[in-house]
Amino acid sequence: MSKTDVILEANDIYKSFGNVEVLKGISLEAKNREVISILGASGSGKSTFLRCLNFLEIPTSGTISVHGELVDIVNGKPVNPKHIEAIRSRLGMVFQQFNLWTHRTAIENVMEGPIYVKKIPKNLAREKAESLLERVGLKDRMHMYPSQLSGGQQQRVAIARALAMEPDAILFDEPTSALDPELVGEVLKVMQSLAAEGRTMIVVTHEMAFARDVSSKVVFFHAGKIAEQGTPDEMFNNPKTEVFQKFISKI
Amino acid sequence: MFELFSFGENGWGDEILDGVAITAQLAIATLPIGLFIGFIVAFAAMSKNKPLRAIGYGYTTLMRGLPEILTLFVVYNGAGLLLNTIIKWWNVDAQPIDFSPFIAGVIALAMVFGAFSAEVLRGAFNALDEGQVEAGRAVGMSPNVIFWRIKLPQIWRFALPGLGNLWINMLKDTSLVSIIALNDLMRMTKVAVAFTKQPFTFYLVACLIYWLMSLLSEIILAKMEQNANRGIMRV
Amino acid sequence: MDSLEIIIKYWPKLLDGTLMTLKLTFLSVLVAAIISPFLALTRANASPMVQAPLRLYISFIRGTPILAQLFLIYYGSGQFRPILQEWGLWSFFRDPFNCALLTFVLNTTAYQTEILRGGIMGVNRGEIEAGKALGMNKLRILQRIVFPHAYRIAWPALGNEIILMMKASALASVVTIFDILGRTRQIFSRTFDFSIYLWAAILYLCITAIFVLIWRQAELRLNKHIAPSDHLSADKK
Ligand SMILES: Nc1ncnc2c1ncn2[C@@H]1O[C@H](COP(=O)(O)OP(=O)(O)OP(=O)(O)O)[C@@H](O)[C@H]1O
Ligand SMILES: [Mg+2]
Repeated sequence: MSKTDVILEANDIYKSFGNVEVLKGISLEAKNREVISILGASGSGKSTFLRCLNFLEIPTSGTISVHGELVDIVNGKPVNPKHIEAIRSRLGMVFQQFNLWTHRTAIENVMEGPIYVKKIPKNLAREKAESLLERVGLKDRMHMYPSQLSGGQQQRVAIARALAMEPDAILFDEPTSALDPELVGEVLKVMQSLAAEGRTMIVVTHEMAFARDVSSKVVFFHAGKIAEQGTPDEMFNNPKTEVFQKFISKI
Repeated sequence: MFELFSFGENGWGDEILDGVAITAQLAIATLPIGLFIGFIVAFAAMSKNKPLRAIGYGYTTLMRGLPEILTLFVVYNGAGLLLNTIIKWWNVDAQPIDFSPFIAGVIALAMVFGAFSAEVLRGAFNALDEGQVEAGRAVGMSPNVIFWRIKLPQIWRFALPGLGNLWINMLKDTSLVSIIALNDLMRMTKVAVAFTKQPFTFYLVACLIYWLMSLLSEIILAKMEQNANRGIMRV
Repeated sequence: MDSLEIIIKYWPKLLDGTLMTLKLTFLSVLVAAIISPFLALTRANASPMVQAPLRLYISFIRGTPILAQLFLIYYGSGQFRPILQEWGLWSFFRDPFNCALLTFVLNTTAYQTEILRGGIMGVNRGEIEAGKALGMNKLRILQRIVFPHAYRIAWPALGNEIILMMKASALASVVTIFDILGRTRQIFSRTFDFSIYLWAAILYLCITAIFVLIWRQAELRLNKHIAPSDHLSADKK
């Protein structure tokens, strides 16, 4: 894979809930090793867009392709729904509320996807899960249940769970918003190391420092559209639109 | 006194033990069928299809509002009638057959268990954390895998206390089949009473046996709950 | 005869049975409602030693079929006939209605006690302390704070228990009492028309439905009287 390979491409995504149009034609592509930060006010459609990318919400119309698996959506119906599960297993997702499976230990959470989606033998999945948990600094906690872990630890397990699927790209929806301030750092550190490793990431975040220092591209959502995008440098030092100027001045 | 309950010619120990065996068989045969009905009815009550939903709710309301013993009579008499009508229609010369009280008992108890367990299961489904289901979707699990690996274990956890209660209730309700002449614990006790003219002694023993079965069930259920709650209660 | 003719002919009997079902249910629930608050208080507060017999009684009732309890009292009393006659109690136990009533009272008292105990345990300790701080005596606190809350908490469960009792009262027919089911079986044995069971089912369902409506209305009243505003606004105060 070269740096310019496009991993994920979303084209002209529209999404309505009932009569309310939340996404109004969003196009975005993520190239290999790119880290994209999505910023925007509450309700601007960031989460909805991210959830559309792996079909947790079905867009009303548009096209999404991940590494050649292409899904066309017409009138809220995927034309080739068979590709959806394939796309999902190629995209990792980290949720704001962690969403760990409470009836399984940390390591079982990490092993579950590889075993039951990728059909990898158990012992291999276990070895892999152990090394991933070590990678996020939780090797000593791997047999604990989610309820025995702090929020920051739970989120790191969730990241390990996403990594275990060897995804082409990882989606993060405000991964640190549900955490106590003192726990935010440990999760951001893991994310930063993933970025340094060359992972392709799309991150919805309110952490401006992360957007500025870690991402390669910043996208600003406003009222269901992309109002402005560019490198962090351009965006933060030289914001062009009035809405984005206003947005960063508030922080 | 102890001779009364000895095993053999003079004692009633073996008869009563036979009754206990029938009672246990009845309860154990009812459980899977009742649970199966419970799942079907719960799915119906939660479905998007309106008539199906009405059937689901109607069934639970109906069965929970009727005395269990009435259900038993309806099944025993009604199903027997139906069966014989069908047989007659099939073969005019056929002798009328008796509908087995055991089967009638299992069907009636399972219908009741199904209605009550449907409510428990529906509550458990509603208590499912949608986020965890989504996390399953996000790693690309098929709906099938999501059901077996994520939903079912959690439903099991939520539903276990309620189902445990229903099991004990059903165990006690098995005593009703003695009224339709099945030789369960209750019925065998009645037979012993007729012979010995010691009704209090024998009915007390019957009560104690039921009590023991309930307490035993409670202990096992507590163990099962502990097991199902791994990782939930501990903080 | 078709089923309409049967119901036209036999409806007075069914009505009679309905009244019997209502009478049995109402009386047993009522007596239990008078006893259970005292037992519930004991269950909630008394020392383990005092509670032991009470717990044994409740565990026994909950662990055994009500049919077995009924037989134990109705048939079992026969074993003690001489003693009972001596004490002048035989005429009581000879009557199946009395035996059924006694069984049902003993049964539903155990359940009501446990339900009410749950309600008492659910009362906010702080409110009890506030009562103490005002100098209320124990009785006042029970009367003004503990029981109003406990009943409000326990109300839905008590309603369920009453419905269960109503359904269980059908067992009285087994000891020759002519309640709804007793009449139904009698009519069935004369006509062999199965539809009479369906009429009985309708009667039971109607009683349940009407009771549920009444109980909900009472719940609304109860909640209005005790907590004029909902939980959220109560918290804000
Ligand atoms: N399932 C849904 N049904 C109806 N409306 C929804 C649904 N999900 C989101 N919306 C609406 O879509 C709009 C965009 O929501 P979204 O969650 O994408 O915003 P967001 O940019 O992620 O905001 P935040 O920063 O608060 O997370 C909101 O107005 C929201 O109310
Ligand atoms: Mg959001």
